[in-house]
Amino acid sequence: MSADSNVKVRLNNSELWGGLIGLGLGIFVVQSGLKLKLGTIHEPGPGFVLFYAGILICAFAATIMIAALTEGGPTFGSRWKDARWAKPVIVIACLTAFAFALDSLGFLLAAIPLTLLLMRLIDPVRWSLAVPISILVPAGMWWLLKQALGIQLPSGTIGIG
Amino acid sequence: MDTLVNVAHGFGVALAPVNLLYCFVGVFIGTLVGVLPGIGPISAMSLLLPVTLSGTPESGIIMMAGIYYGSMYGGSTTSILVNIPGEAASVVTCIDGHQMAKQGRAGPALGIAAFGSFIAGTFALVALMLVAPKLASVAVVFGPAEYFSLMALGLVVLTFLTQGSMAKALLMACIGVVLGLIGLDSITAQPRLTFGRLELMDGIGLVPVVMGLFGVAEVLLNTEQVIRRDIINAKITRLFPNKEDWKASAGPVGRGTILGFFLGILPGGGAVVASFASYALEKRLSGTPERFGHGAIEGVAGPESANNAAAGGAFIPLMTLGIPPNVVMALLLGAFVVHGLQPGPLMIAQNPGLFWGIVASMYIGNLMLLVLNLPMIGMWVQLLKLPYNILFPLIILFTIIGVYCSSNNVFDVYVMIAFGVIGYFMRKLGYEPAPLVLAFVLGPMLENNLRKSLILSQGDLGIFFTRPISAVCLALALVLLIGPLLPSLRRKRELVALDEGA
Repeated sequence: MSADSNVKVRLNNSELWGGLIGLGLGIFVVQSGLKLKLGTIHEPGPGFVLFYAGILICAFAATIMIAALTEGGPTFGSRWKDARWAKPVIVIACLTAFAFALDSLGFLLAAIPLTLLLMRLIDPVRWSLAVPISILVPAGMWWLLKQALGIQLPSGTIGIG
Repeated sequence: MDTLVNVAHGFGVALAPVNLLYCFVGVFIGTLVGVLPGIGPISAMSLLLPVTLSGTPESGIIMMAGIYYGSMYGGSTTSILVNIPGEAASVVTCIDGHQMAKQGRAGPALGIAAFGSFIAGTFALVALMLVAPKLASVAVVFGPAEYFSLMALGLVVLTFLTQGSMAKALLMACIGVVLGLIGLDSITAQPRLTFGRLELMDGIGLVPVVMGLFGVAEVLLNTEQVIRRDIINAKITRLFPNKEDWKASAGPVGRGTILGFFLGILPGGGAVVASFASYALEKRLSGTPERFGHGAIEGVAGPESANNAAAGGAFIPLMTLGIPPNVVMALLLGAFVVHGLQPGPLMIAQNPGLFWGIVASMYIGNLMLLVLNLPMIGMWVQLLKLPYNILFPLIILFTIIGVYCSSNNVFDVYVMIAFGVIGYFMRKLGYEPAPLVLAFVLGPMLENNLRKSLILSQGDLGIFFTRPISAVCLALALVLLIGPLLPSLRRKRELVALDEGA
């Protein structure tokens, strides 16, 4: 194996990246702890536990990275091998769109298209079943919560729901 | 005599019509989520946490407890008939249970799972009744140092038992502690990691974190593959095991019950560890271990008894010390807290109706489960035929509603979605969410007790090593932390390591 491909394998090592993210997070927590003031051992301050938790995060992340560099580890490709990776991406995209729409459209207008999209885009449910379920279930839940439990779901700027 | 009086008082509470209804709803939902693959007791309990607000504390907690032990019963049905575990504690039941079903013995497999669960559940309750008040009276003398060390031990045990790298599990636990500290500092009221957002002043809610990490992440993982189900379609007859089945199962049920109960009490332990440990024990004790994996009834009877006994045992640390030993109990602690109650050594004395009512309701719930899981097995089989492509959008919808209802705040829905995505990537990269969630719940208590101990001892760290209970807990934690460095202990850990998924 050439030196170039060796570097390539290392950069694609998912363990290494997992450790790096952990290390970054640990450094941020340590800094936050320092900013909040550690106090003394007689009287620990609000940053005391955060600081030491951050140190531990850095230590464990470093352990993971060292193991990744010395022993290797699975690549990102192998983690998603034989998986329909596009499907969770679609679900995440739908949920993100729903999150943005929830405040302005309200629960009903945002939940009906979300349910319909999830039913049609992953393992398609036939239209004759998907449409009624997507309308009746969110509407039924909204009615039950409002009428039976007195819980008002977000109604959005349009005020539907 | 006192115990009998208390039990009678408990039955008075549990037999109130509204509590009976909540108990039934709990065990019914528990069986339902146990049967349905892709949604477990953690997701269901977080979903229903807001519902408990509408009733009395007794009713709410009776229902939440019912979901937990109900899911232990229901999980076996899916494992035996479909070869997919309905929830994590039933993984091991798939091995021999489904083989029995394939050989035309689905009835006895389901029967022994239900009877074993009933016997174990009842034993665990009697033991809970006898042990909890005694332990609570001892726990009154616990100081902050003991609490800190016990919680630290609980976290270390869970990381030890988590599947995969221990460094990853410990990293998750530390991140959980940090997440738990977001919000106002309990002593100085200084905001920590709030990024100027008002919504974070009270910290991140448990419900959106759990629903995201377990509910949404589980759905994302499930959409990656086409779920194929090998459902046993033959009519299920003769649910009562015969004489030979009982003879073969008596030992495994007894051993599974005792083992499960003690593993349930241990911080970080729980139903999943218990079922795996029981299976390993039965295989080791069997004169014909080669039958295991090919339809041995002992492989169903032991683990199913163990997971139910563990479910009962897990209530002990929560009720007597106020320390949740696993994620499910952490959610139950959340239910206590939303009602303004703090489980711990004084709870049994101050709220006897609540404690004994919950215990008595569990007896009643176990009886209800026997009826739900044996004569009504056909209904659950029909439910198993519900396609996942219809089920998962509904699960997502229910999680959104559940999270919103827990706080009436759209911000929590964003938090849940964010944790769902984080949870998905965590699972893909081999980071288990269970240590994070337990640490998230224990984090503020851990910090509080650490700071209190240091203030009380005027900065002397010796307080943790000179007090016997604290010293023993820390010594055990140290052994478990160093243990995986030794090759023989590492192999043992890999054998018992588990996936504490939803």
